[in-house]
Amino acid sequence: MRYRKALIMTLALGTIWTRASFSGDALAPGEIVRACYARFYYAGDDMKARILMKLIDKGGQERIRDLTMLRKNSAEGGEQKYFIYFHQPADVKDTTFMVYKYPDKDDDRWLFIPAIDLVKRIAANDKFSSFVGSDFTYEDISGRKPEEDTHTLLREEDVDGRSCFVVESVPQERSAYTKRVSWIDKENFLPLKEEFYDKQNELYRRFEALEVKEDNGIPTATKRVMQNVKTGHRTEVTFQEVEYNAGIGDDIFSERYLRRPPLQWIE
Amino acid sequence: MDRIKTVCVVFISGALFFPVGKVWAAAPRFHGFAEMVYGPKVSDDNTQRDNFNLLEQRLQLKTKYLFEGEGALARKNSSINFKGDFTVDEYFSGKTDFELREFNFSTTPHDSLDVKLGRQVLTWGTGDYLFINDLFPKDYISFFTGRDDEYLKKPSDALKVSFYPSWANIDLVASRFEANTIADGGRLSFFDSFQGGIAGTNSDRDLLEPPLRPSNIEYALRGYRSLGSHEAAFYYFRGFDKNPGGFKDEAARQLFYPRLDVYGGSLRGPAAGGIGNIELGYYHSREDPDGKDRLIGNSRFKILTGYEKDLGNDFKVGFQYLYEQTLDYGNYSASLLPTDFVFDKFRHLLAQRITKLYKNQTVSVSLFNFYSPSDRDGYLRPTVSYDATDQWKLALGANLPWGEDDFTEFGQMKRNKNVFFRARYSF
Repeated sequence: MRYRKALIMTLALGTIWTRASFSGDALAPGEIVRACYARFYYAGDDMKARILMKLIDKGGQERIRDLTMLRKNSAEGGEQKYFIYFHQPADVKDTTFMVYKYPDKDDDRWLFIPAIDLVKRIAANDKFSSFVGSDFTYEDISGRKPEEDTHTLLREEDVDGRSCFVVESVPQERSAYTKRVSWIDKENFLPLKEEFYDKQNELYRRFEALEVKEDNGIPTATKRVMQNVKTGHRTEVTFQEVEYNAGIGDDIFSERYLRRPPLQWIE
Repeated sequence: MDRIKTVCVVFISGALFFPVGKVWAAAPRFHGFAEMVYGPKVSDDNTQRDNFNLLEQRLQLKTKYLFEGEGALARKNSSINFKGDFTVDEYFSGKTDFELREFNFSTTPHDSLDVKLGRQVLTWGTGDYLFINDLFPKDYISFFTGRDDEYLKKPSDALKVSFYPSWANIDLVASRFEANTIADGGRLSFFDSFQGGIAGTNSDRDLLEPPLRPSNIEYALRGYRSLGSHEAAFYYFRGFDKNPGGFKDEAARQLFYPRLDVYGGSLRGPAAGGIGNIELGYYHSREDPDGKDRLIGNSRFKILTGYEKDLGNDFKVGFQYLYEQTLDYGNYSASLLPTDFVFDKFRHLLAQRITKLYKNQTVSVSLFNFYSPSDRDGYLRPTVSYDATDQWKLALGANLPWGEDDFTEFGQMKRNKNVFFRARYSF
């Protein structure tokens, strides 16, 4: 009896201690997902990354999307601005794309088509459509708010030698999936694996983070893959250069720079 | 000994390659595409050729030279931009041509000021294929034959100055007059009042462009700012009608481009789960301000509203409604001669665009439809395109204008129906 009490005390203390160190076993599943959302989508005050996406179909034919992404946060979990410049393929070179992401309403999106000097406003109420033909949706790129799902901690499990929380998320709001299972690294809270289930409750997409590197002490999944297991199409993503807290000015996220890409940030 | 030889070879080849390598690094890199387009006709007319109205090969080259180093131009983010098209046009028996689409110098002399001088493509406004305050030149022959959308926009020789004070963005453009390219009977038939109907090679109109002189420079101004998620803009244009809207000498079949001022505004932003836009413009006919001159087009009022929505699964729909009204219509009708064609006071035009993407967005199926209940005419543009690889793109489509009358905007084009096929290799 006494022994049991001591054990409970130890566990409780352990819980408090690990909570403070931000890697506790007793974290509520919602908190785990919120931490993951913050680390994955809001890391740093701003971010600059050169990203190579390979879109590979079932037959192995490859298309590429080579882009620079700039992101700036106004507050963690709050408004964000994205600026994307396409380097390749040739037919979309110099095309730019800008997103203002709001926590509580639809994004504002603009696309600049250089051949016709046109800044086009893009209807953005569908977050589940594919980002530039890849297996990632717009929601995958800019994040789904943790409050839109209910989360359950299923178990703990290792992924490539890293111990992870395995959390199941079931949507409360409109969603492209009916269930998502995430393997979240207990130490850095990055999602190392995610599985998405469709209406038939069958697995249809699988995300994996294959490599994690640090810049400025901030870990980034620098190699990622999203596979559509139903169609056999997959998208491999490499973050070739990542820089956090680079000091990207707010003025970059404007029509001016859509038409005239900011060379100091995109080259 | 061998080692010394190797070192020498490496050193010499290094010395040879180093400057070559430097030259290559500094040489501009070209991008662009090679394209073949073919547009067989599916209706008869009396233009130059009966069986097709488009057959050409095109090579587009573009490059950009960035000023580098410590010089003043480099510090001001300056660049020279070039884009040019070499064409072989089988419609005109293999005529070769070169079209300079862009050749300009661009710089940022001040933090809140951009300048672009030279040949450039210019666009603004909120419409989709419908333009009220965008008075920059268009090429409607390209549009009606099925060239890529890029070629609907004609380049301008212009100076564009953009100011970015904190409260708004302001663009000011001064440009040389450049007329719209419109059907002239050579490639496309159209309504020619001198011929009393739809005309082809029999048309012998003489279009008189304003000569280049300081008083004929055109000015276009846009001020815009965001209001939350919405964008508001105002526009001003002072120049000439881009279409030959005035008769100079009827006996000599001479038409000209009357002076025109346009005042307008627009608002665009999220509405009802999609993007809504509204734009209006007042066209002031400076050479016929009260509408009493039957030879010159009257002042007009135009308003355009549009709505686009993403329905999910890469399926988008868009609707537009354009209303045009000829002002001082009483003066216009009173001035007409009994033999003149009478144009309506009002025009209503509806447009729809439906786009659906398939196969990881490599296949695009789209339908654009214009329909005017007042003119009883319309224009259907179905297109299917396929990105076979990142380099190869194939497109198949049709241009199907129709109309009950011969003199309405789309009705006059009704004998130009075609299908078109494009194959493009980008590099």
